[in-house]
Amino acid sequence: MKLRTNLNKIWAFSTRSALVNRRNVFAIFEMVFWPLIGVFSVGLLTRFLSLEGETVAFILIGAVSMNTIQIAQLDLSYALLYSVWSKSLKHEFIAPVRLSHILVGSGLVGLVRGLVVFVLMGGLSVYFFDMDLGRPGLAGLSLFLLGLFLNAAIIGALVLALVLRFGQRAEVAAWAFSYLMLLLCGLYYPVSVLPRGAQFLAQLIPLTYFLDYFRHFYGFPLASMHPLLYGFSQTVVYLFISYGLVCLTLKSAYRRGTLLRLSD
Amino acid sequence: MQPAIFAQGIGKGFRTGLWGPVKQVLRQVDLTVAPGAIFGVLGPNGAGKTTLISILATLLLPDTGRAEVLGLDVVRQAAALKARINLAASGAHFLWCMTVTDSLRFYGRLYGLGGRALTDKVEKLLDLFGLAEHRTVTFERLSTGLKQRLALAKALINDPELLFLDEPTSGLDQEMAHLIRQEIVRLNRETGVTMLLTTHNLREAEMLCTEVAFLKGGQLISEGRIPDLQRRLGLGDHLSLVFQDSPAPLDYDRLPGVLRHTVQESRVDLVLDRVDERLPAILEAVYVTGTKLAKVVVKPVDLEEIYHEITH
Repeated sequence: MKLRTNLNKIWAFSTRSALVNRRNVFAIFEMVFWPLIGVFSVGLLTRFLSLEGETVAFILIGAVSMNTIQIAQLDLSYALLYSVWSKSLKHEFIAPVRLSHILVGSGLVGLVRGLVVFVLMGGLSVYFFDMDLGRPGLAGLSLFLLGLFLNAAIIGALVLALVLRFGQRAEVAAWAFSYLMLLLCGLYYPVSVLPRGAQFLAQLIPLTYFLDYFRHFYGFPLASMHPLLYGFSQTVVYLFISYGLVCLTLKSAYRRGTLLRLSD
Repeated sequence: MQPAIFAQGIGKGFRTGLWGPVKQVLRQVDLTVAPGAIFGVLGPNGAGKTTLISILATLLLPDTGRAEVLGLDVVRQAAALKARINLAASGAHFLWCMTVTDSLRFYGRLYGLGGRALTDKVEKLLDLFGLAEHRTVTFERLSTGLKQRLALAKALINDPELLFLDEPTSGLDQEMAHLIRQEIVRLNRETGVTMLLTTHNLREAEMLCTEVAFLKGGQLISEGRIPDLQRRLGLGDHLSLVFQDSPAPLDYDRLPGVLRHTVQESRVDLVLDRVDERLPAILEAVYVTGTKLAKVVVKPVDLEEIYHEITH
């Protein structure tokens, strides 16, 4: 009974996210258009530069990862922004829902959308640019995807915390966070080309290790001995920190009256 | 009997800016609301009505004091309490692209409803609030009245034992406001749900509320049933006797229940403690003098007078 009640609460946020995506032409646009632009602009650039197959794969992996994370984190980031935009935040929080219902419910839709983007971009990369996406095998691919989605969850949770603290202004953060992370973790280049300080920061980002892990299947040497261990360990730590941060900002929002201010 | 709401010493302040001073919005508010009542919290803008209702509705933490709603502490037992209360506020706001049905289904799920139970509940509310024919209309396309009806329907999705109504008719036209008020009274009568209503519309409070409390500057300055407040404040009902010629030669202040009187040409204005009880005796006293009355006007004391007396 309790499980079903909790599932219904999670399902509420999933269906709301799905509805907004379905009824908003721009949501479909951002799921198809930008990934298309991403894969073709990068793919055609590699063709112009006459790059070798492995290097093409290196760069396309970056493009696919970026778009997958961007889209996957959006639903989580927007989970509260939808309520802020519609000024209905207090109606959601007067109901007996927990943060976990919001995070899991919205995150599930982000996961599905991210998966669609990954399949779409991966398919186009295979078809048009001869990328061998199957080379890492099912296990390699699954672990890499899991890493991408967990990174998206960290970004989404951090944006949620910002929304609860700063309201609508945090919308920009939804994009800025992921771009900053993607710049540092060696999206289109090896981390070794970054300045020393930036290299240190890159080592603090789990995505750096997941990219490292996935690219080694394409012949690039591993920058760290156990990329998956580092990547997932950092991910777990950051997930706990970001969840704790959301809980703290929610508590602060109850004290400061933010929930009411954002509903006016 | 356990009160539906019991609050003691509630205080709340908000800091302006990061380092600015704390502006005190509520100061030492005590409140008791009986089960099944429609209790009105009245006061001018900025009096602290919404802050008080938000604390009781678990949306805001108080700085001082404690409050129990339905026997549950609003801070420590908020999770359990949330399942038993709900809120409808003025200027209803829901997600713009969700239809009437989507919105009700969404909020129903937030209370753990699903499957057949959710469908039945949504259908019942659609019928109850005359929303069935608008079920596929998105929120942004609904008229203000329909949005408010949806807000009330949503507030009943979990069969709450206590309903918070924050200025429920604010911004509605007369007809729609009247319909919503009728709905509130009907709900209270049929389901026995306790309602805490904030409003600055005194006429509305008079029509709906069994008890009222006045907030001013964050302080609760008076509370009780309207006749009790009237008596406590020494306010009375108005009775105007308009005579055909000169007024009846009576010592008006000595008539039963008369608090004060004024004479103006052929008209005598009396203020009585209870006009319904005193009127026959006064008319008889006039009749005995043989003076002819042209008109008798009765005006019971209204909340506006009470409000004016309390707040000024």
